[in-house]
Amino acid sequence: MDIMNEKQFEELWVKAEAESHAEKLAAEYPVWRQKTRRTLSMAAGVALVLAVATPIAMSPSATGNYNKVYCNRAGIQDQQWVNLADELLMEG
Amino acid sequence: MRRILIIMLLPLMLAVGCKHKTETPAEGALYVRYASLPETSVAQVCGFQLCDTVSVDVVLLQAESDEAWQRMKNEFAIVDSIGVTSWLADTEEPATRVKWEGQPLLRIIASHDKQAIGLYRLDSEEQYDALVDYQLNKMTNDK
Repeated sequence: MDIMNEKQFEELWVKAEAESHAEKLAAEYPVWRQKTRRTLSMAAGVALVLAVATPIAMSPSATGNYNKVYCNRAGIQDQQWVNLADELLMEG
Repeated sequence: MRRILIIMLLPLMLAVGCKHKTETPAEGALYVRYASLPETSVAQVCGFQLCDTVSVDVVLLQAESDEAWQRMKNEFAIVDSIGVTSWLADTEEPATRVKWEGQPLLRIIASHDKQAIGLYRLDSEEQYDALVDYQLNKMTNDK
C-alpha cells in the first residue's frame, strides 16, 4: 500500500467533507420540503381570503344604499343626508 | 409551481377588484357651487341607490335659518311658501324649468317644512324611470 502524499490526502478530505454535506442535506430535504409546502399553502389561503373578502367589504352595498357623502359641515352623519334624500323623494 | 402561480395571481385579482370597487366619486360642480352658501348645510350623496342597478348623485341644501331659506327660495325662483315644490331643471341653471327630452337634467324637490332642497342628477332615461319607480314603490309600501 502506497502512502498518500499530502495532495492526495487533501483531495480525499475535500471529497469526504462534500459527501457528508450531501448526506446531511439529503436527510434534511423532506423536512424542508414539508415546511415550504405548509408555508406556501398558508400564503395561498390568506391570498384567497383577501381576494374574496376585500372587494366584498369595500363594495357600495357594504356602506348602505350610497357610495360616499361630501358635506360642508362637520358632525353631520352621512346617513342623515341619505335619509333626507329619501324623504324629499317621498314628499315630492 | 401551480401553487406559486396561484399566489402570484390572487393579489393581482385583489388589486384589480379593489380598484374597480373603490373608485372614489368626485365632488360635483353643483356641490362645489353651493358649498359656500352662508348658513346652509350642503351635502353631496354619491351613488344614492334607487334600485339594484341604478343610482344617482344627489346634492342637498338645508337652510340653517329663515333668512337662509328665503335666499335659497330666491336663488331657485321658488314662489310657493307651503308644502313641496318640484320641477325638472337645467343642469347648469337649476332655477330654469325644463321638460324631459332625454337630455341630462336635474329633478329638484324643495320642502318648505324641512327648509331643504334636493337636486337629483339624471343623466339617462334609465335613471329618470328608476326615480319615478322609486317614488311610486315607496309611496305604495308606505300606505
